[in-house]
Formats: sequence, structure tokens, C-alpha cells
Amino acid sequence: MKSTLIILLSLIVGAFAGAGQTADSFRMPDFEQVQLDNGLTLYLMEQHEVPLVSVAAFVRAGAVLDGEQMGLASMTGDGLLFGTDKLPKKAVEDTFEFVGANLATSVASDYSVLSMSSAKKDLNVLLPIFADLLTRPTFAADEFDKHQTRTLAQLQQRRESPRSVINDYFDRAMFGADGYGNPVSGTQKTVGALTPDELAGFHKDWYQPDNVALVVVGDFATRDMIARLKKQFGGWQGQSKSRPDSDNALRTLDGNQVVLVNKSDARESTFMIGGPGITRSNPDYVPLIVINTVLGGRFTSWLNDELRVNSGLTYGARSRFNALEEAGTFAISTFTKTESTEAAMDLALETYQRLWSQGIDKAALDSAKNYVKGQFPPDYETNSQLAGLLGQMFIFGFGPAFINDFEQQVDSLTTDKARQLIEKHFPRDDLQFVVIGKADAIAELMKKYGTVSRYEIEADQYGD
Amino acid sequence: MKVYGLFAVVLALLSPVASATEAKDVKAFTLDNGMKFLVLEDHSIPNANLYLFWKVGSRNEVPGITGLSHFFEHMMFNGSENYGPKMFDQTMEAAGGANNAYTTENTTVYTDWFPSDAMETIFKLEADRVRALTLDDEMIESERGVVTSERSTGLENSNFRAIWEEVKGAAFRAHPYSWPVIGHQSDIDNWSKQDLVDYFKTYYAPNNAVAVVVGDVSTRDVKKLAERHFGDIPAGKAPRPIHTVEPEQKGEKRVFVSKASVTTPNLMIAYKIPATSDPDYHALSLLASLLGDGNSSRLYRQLVDEQQLATDIFVYMPESFDPNLFYIYAVAADGISPEALEKGIYRVLETVKTEGIDDKELQKVKNGKLMEFYRTLETINGKADTLGSYELYFGGYEKLFEAPEDFNRVTRDDIVNAAREYLAKSRRTVGILDKAEPEDELAALPATSNERGE
Repeated sequence: MKSTLIILLSLIVGAFAGAGQTADSFRMPDFEQVQLDNGLTLYLMEQHEVPLVSVAAFVRAGAVLDGEQMGLASMTGDGLLFGTDKLPKKAVEDTFEFVGANLATSVASDYSVLSMSSAKKDLNVLLPIFADLLTRPTFAADEFDKHQTRTLAQLQQRRESPRSVINDYFDRAMFGADGYGNPVSGTQKTVGALTPDELAGFHKDWYQPDNVALVVVGDFATRDMIARLKKQFGGWQGQSKSRPDSDNALRTLDGNQVVLVNKSDARESTFMIGGPGITRSNPDYVPLIVINTVLGGRFTSWLNDELRVNSGLTYGARSRFNALEEAGTFAISTFTKTESTEAAMDLALETYQRLWSQGIDKAALDSAKNYVKGQFPPDYETNSQLAGLLGQMFIFGFGPAFINDFEQQVDSLTTDKARQLIEKHFPRDDLQFVVIGKADAIAELMKKYGTVSRYEIEADQYGD
Repeated sequence: MKVYGLFAVVLALLSPVASATEAKDVKAFTLDNGMKFLVLEDHSIPNANLYLFWKVGSRNEVPGITGLSHFFEHMMFNGSENYGPKMFDQTMEAAGGANNAYTTENTTVYTDWFPSDAMETIFKLEADRVRALTLDDEMIESERGVVTSERSTGLENSNFRAIWEEVKGAAFRAHPYSWPVIGHQSDIDNWSKQDLVDYFKTYYAPNNAVAVVVGDVSTRDVKKLAERHFGDIPAGKAPRPIHTVEPEQKGEKRVFVSKASVTTPNLMIAYKIPATSDPDYHALSLLASLLGDGNSSRLYRQLVDEQQLATDIFVYMPESFDPNLFYIYAVAADGISPEALEKGIYRVLETVKTEGIDDKELQKVKNGKLMEFYRTLETINGKADTLGSYELYFGGYEKLFEAPEDFNRVTRDDIVNAAREYLAKSRRTVGILDKAEPEDELAALPATSNERGE
């Protein structure tokens, strides 16, 4: 246990220095990356503007590892907060909330996060509790029962809102019944079958020091914080399971496919149109952000301009790349009143085709570049945002170059290069549609867009 | 003992934060035309913002033009003298800036976020539309569709929205808080261009606005640009004050909304409370925190955790120029009736009123407010939004920096008294949203023939 008290400086695998801020270049603030003997990775970044500290544990385990037990990663994340041997759930909440500290968990396809934010002086009391929640949660049966009952009701309630569930239908259609096709929050059937032991099992498999990064950002001295974290987490021993060969390949679509989800009392149709995208580590990630800005990433984008500003069909239309660790998708999304479903879908498709038929000219590209660069720094302003960035670096394996080379990467995109990237990365044929709306009114129309499969929004499923 | 120990820790935090941002760091100036500017320099990122707060919201509307403030907010993006339709956004985004806007019952706020070196472009754009907005007929028609979609998607995706407008409508029968900010659909369909022209003239004069700039700028530059671009816009006549006072409510009001796709009942309970400027504001705000902030709050712990009557619950107390509502919103757990949930909520409120609160709980909510204050000051947008809000609702931006002390002065009795006075049955409007209305009472009665004694 004590062995990990020794810091080997040689284990510091990175110490990156920001080169000073200039008016027009945003640089990664200084941070240190340290690996402890037990395999735990630490990221530390000092920020002294307010006397607060954000701590986040990023675990390389998300819903993609659920297998058939959909919702397992999500419920395990939630279950961290059920308490520890020393402190039951309520006592944990009382302790954090008495000093106005935040404590939360979140689970995505690729990873899980336990995070907190507090005044720096409260860390003495809160950090040991945080460590226990992360490394020795009890998954208390009585708390589990209550949480499971509540989650089952919420899984039903989220089906009241098309916007809450449409992505789950889309991912399911794109990836099939496994891996990234799993809805992160699971289904009523699969969540209803989970037990506290299964949460504990998932925790034991994946919440191990060699599979976790602990990110600390805020008002502290790095040397002191490293010593403190070593004391707190150095004794944590164990190894994570080796990752299974999960099937995260995208399905091959044979022609356009339409998932039609009936919501009988719908007043509007909510829809997505898309196809395969890229992984987060794809070297074209940044230029694709710029290209997508022109298509559907800002107010004056083609999609919003056509569907909202020119035609008044919708309150908003956009497009996005969802870039995950092993795969990704691209999709256009918007909504319109039931009667204008066809007009909106046709216009979305027609506008999308401009990527090929018309391409992006220099003026549009220059504007998008300025926009992307100008809106970049506020994404990394708070301790929590910076902690999120460092955690993503750990999960997705990119480095500070993402920040430091961002401007140069944006600037180097030419219209020629943009044309090549459009050919390479934007899905043009075999598109996947998901439309949630009043089937009585739009089912016939859907045949125009592709092979239709129909579901009911209140049913406990996202696909076959 | 522990309580006071921890309290000392929290108080000790005041000084470092105060030294990070203090009231004196905010520079205020007013142009000759009455337009007020607040500037706070913050060089942590190479960006800045401009928040323009206009003292006009749905409370300034009348029947027939409900929703016009919000619609007007949309029209402000559709062309002005030197920047035709679409050019506001195109010019701003090409300069690296982005924007948004929001309308409330009381205010309309335009928000611009930009790299600091684009500041003059932003000032030009904002000033041009305030000086000489053009209201193009085609744009008006197309924007009706956009706002109709905005209204519709809110009702489609948010149970809160669906029940909120009904509760407001019942709670207020005289005051303009009666209608939803987005307006009635028939008004969205029918207001005229002249309504917009009049609205612009009445409310969009520089003396009706407060501008806040926070970020990587110098106060001198902001002042120069303010004078250059806004200085020559003439002041307008002060808008007519809203004189309508909602008559005192004499008893509980109830509404029911049915929506087929709802899976468990949603409940909104709204109590009449005074305006934000009232001396009871801080006690009410702490009461709201005590009831609804976090898993250790009274309502969450009792109803979601222990009794499992609700899957979610929150308290909402918007800032307001005139007396408004204190909302409690809850979503019933599976199999729980709205009546059981409603009773559960009243039992929790009753405990506060009859048994009071202890020192530790009081300290918890005060500590929470203090941390909220720090988190607000963590971003340039948090700073701008909060400075503007304090300027408008609390009688001056300086009050922001007095807020921790104002909260600290509140006693246990103040909170309990506020609960007793304001969370009273006669002040409340209750709304239930559910799949279908309960059966007609007559259906449950014995056959009418029995009444004749047969």
C-alpha cells in the first residue's frame, strides 16, 4: 500500500507548457500528467481565478461494454452515489451539500465519470469521500431498489418527448443491437433485470486504477496536490479486465432506410437523416468541424438558413458529427409541424446535396473558420470544462495539440481540401432516416424516402 | 460546533473571491441619451461579450398582441438600415462572433459572444438595428412560421410548457403575466406590421436599455465605441408604466390539462409572491433552496427518495418586476396519483411552517448561495448575465456584490415566516397534467332514479 507513496519523476509522462497567451491564439493552459505505480493516471491543472477545485474521475468503461445488459454501465455510474461503508447515501449528500459542493456521475457510450466541484478548503473533508465512492462503493440494496424503480418510471417518461429518444433510435439503426447501438440508459426490460451484484461486478471489472484518469483543475499547488492524491489513491490496487472485441462496426445499409416511430398525439414530426461518420481520433476531425459549420453548425448554416430563415418551416435545423472512440455517425436533425413534414424533409435533403452539387466557396469557408476559432476559447473557460477536456484526452487519446494546433488546422483548410473531405466523410447514399410523428398522417409519405420499419414510441424498444 | 467550524471556513472564502471581482471593478457610465453601460474587464480568455437588456417583456403586452415581445426579439435579426435581411448574423459569424437572445415576462435580452478584436463590428451591428430596424413584410410572414414551430416544439417536448401556460392563465386574470411569453397562437397568426412598428418606437429607445460588456476589453475602448455607435441615437419617451395590479386571490384555483402521451401525472403548484425588489426576496430565495436544491433538500429527500411519490421535483422562482409566482413542479412516480403527490408536497411544506428549521439547514442553504455566487463569477457570460439582472431587478449591479451579505442576514424565523405567509392555500394555483381527466363525477354516482327514493 505504501509503495505508491513514492513519486517517480520519470513517470511524469508529460508536462506541457502553454506558450503565453496572445490576443489571437488560444493555448492549452499548463498541466501535468503523472502515472502512479498502481496505474492511475493523474492530470493536474492549476487555475487560480476562483477558490474552487473540480475533480473528475474518467473511467474507460461506458455503455459500449453493456452487452445484453443494456443500462448496466449507466446504473453502475448512478450506483456510485448509493454510499460507502462509512457513509450511507444520505450522509454523503448532506456532507457535500452542506458546503455547497456538487457531486455527480455521468455515463456515455465510451466512458463513465464521477465528478465533484467544491471550495478548495472543503477538499480535506470531501476528497476522501469521493475516493471511497469511486473505489469502494457499496451498491446498497435498499438504495438500489429505490433507484431502479425510479429509473424504470423515467425510462417510460422520456418516451413522452421525441427529442429525448430520437438519438437512441438512430444509433440503434446505425449500429444494430450491440455496442454503440445500445441505448446508454437501457430499456425497462434490461434495467428491470439488473441486480446490485451485477453493478458491483461491472465496477470490479472496469473501475480499476489502470483504467482510470483522475483529473484535478482549480486553485491548488500541483506538488501538494500530487502528494495528496498519492496518499488518497495510492493504495487502490487492482487490474481491469481486458476489453472484449466488441462489435462496433456500422451496419451496411442497402438503400435508404426509414425508421418511423408513431406518436399518436404528435403535433409535429421530429426527424434525423444521416449515415456513417468518423472516430474522435480521426485526423480530419477539426476540418470536418469547419465544414459542418457551413452545412449545419451555426445560425447562418445552409440548413438553418433554408429550413428556418427562408421558409419558416422550423425553429431550428442543424447537423453534427458524433465522433466516438471506435466509430461515429453524421446526422442532420430538425422538426416541423405534421403538415409540412414532406416539405421539410425534401428541403433538408436538397440542401444537404449542395455539399456536392455546389461545394463550399472561399467566402463561406473563411467565415466558418473565423466562427469556429472565435467560439473556441469559451468552451474551455471553467474548471469543469477544462477537467472535461483533460478527461477526453485520456479517453480518446488525443493530446494538447488539439488545442494548440487548432487554429493552424482550421486555417490550413482550403476549398480543394474541403471538397476532398466531403467526398471522403459525408454519407451521400444509403441514408438512415428516423422520423417520430403521427404515423396516421405520414406513414404513406415515408415510403418515398426508403424502406420503412415502424415502431410505437411507447414500446420498450429502439429497434428489432 | 461542527456547523460553526465549517461556517468559518466558508466565510474565509469571501476575501479571495472578493479580491477577484469587486463592485469597484465594474465601470458604469451612461450616454447622454440615457443608455447605461456596465463594463467588467476579464482577460482570462481572448473573448468578450455584449449583453443588451431591454426593459420590455410579455408584461408590456395586451390581449391581441400577446407574444409580441418575443416575436420582436426574432425580428431584430431580420434586417436594419445598413445590414439587410440575414446580414446581422452573416456579418457577426464571419467576424467570429455568435449570438442569441431570450425574452421573459419582464425583459428581452440580446447576447453576443465574440473574440475581443471583433468588438467594433458587434457594436456597429447592434447600434444599426436599434437606430433603424427595417420590418420587411416577407420576413414577418416567414418568422410567424418559425415562432409557431418554436411554440409547438415546446408543447410537444416539454410537459412543463404545456402545464405552465394553463397555470399562469388561471393564476392571473388581470395582470399580463397571465399569458405565456410566446403568446397565443391566434395572436402569433394575426398581429400586424404596425404593431411591430409601434412596439419598436415605444420600447427600443436607448434609455430603455442597459448594456453589459465583460471580457478581454478595455473600458476606454468600450466607452469610445458606445459613444461612436450608440451616442447619436435619440432618447425616447419613457414607456408608460404597467399599472395593472393583480387583484388579491381569495382562494385556491385549479386547472387540468390532458395529453395522451403523458405516462405519469405532472403537477405544478404556484404560489403568489411579491416582486424581486421586495424585502422578503432573500428569505423566499433561501426557502426555495431549502425545499428544492439538491438531493438533501426537503422536497427531494421526502418525496423522491424516502416516500417515492415523485421521480423528479424542483422549485422555480423567477426574478420579476411585479408580484409573480413561486413554483413547485413534480413528476409522479409510476402508479402514484396526482392527489397523493399533492398531499405529499403539502405535508413537507407544513413541516417547515410548524416545526421550523434548524441552524444547520439554514447554514447549508446560505453556503449553497455563496458557492452559486462564485460559480456565476467563473465565466464571462455568468458575470454579464448576473450584472445585468441585478441592475434591472435589484436596483443596481452593486447589489450583486452585497448578495452574500444579504443572504447571510436572513434568520430561521424569516424563512419560516415567509413559508407561512406565502405558501398558503388561498395564494396557490394547482395544475395537473395527465393522460386523461378523471371520469365525470356523475358517472360515479348511483343512478338518478335512486334520488327519487325508489
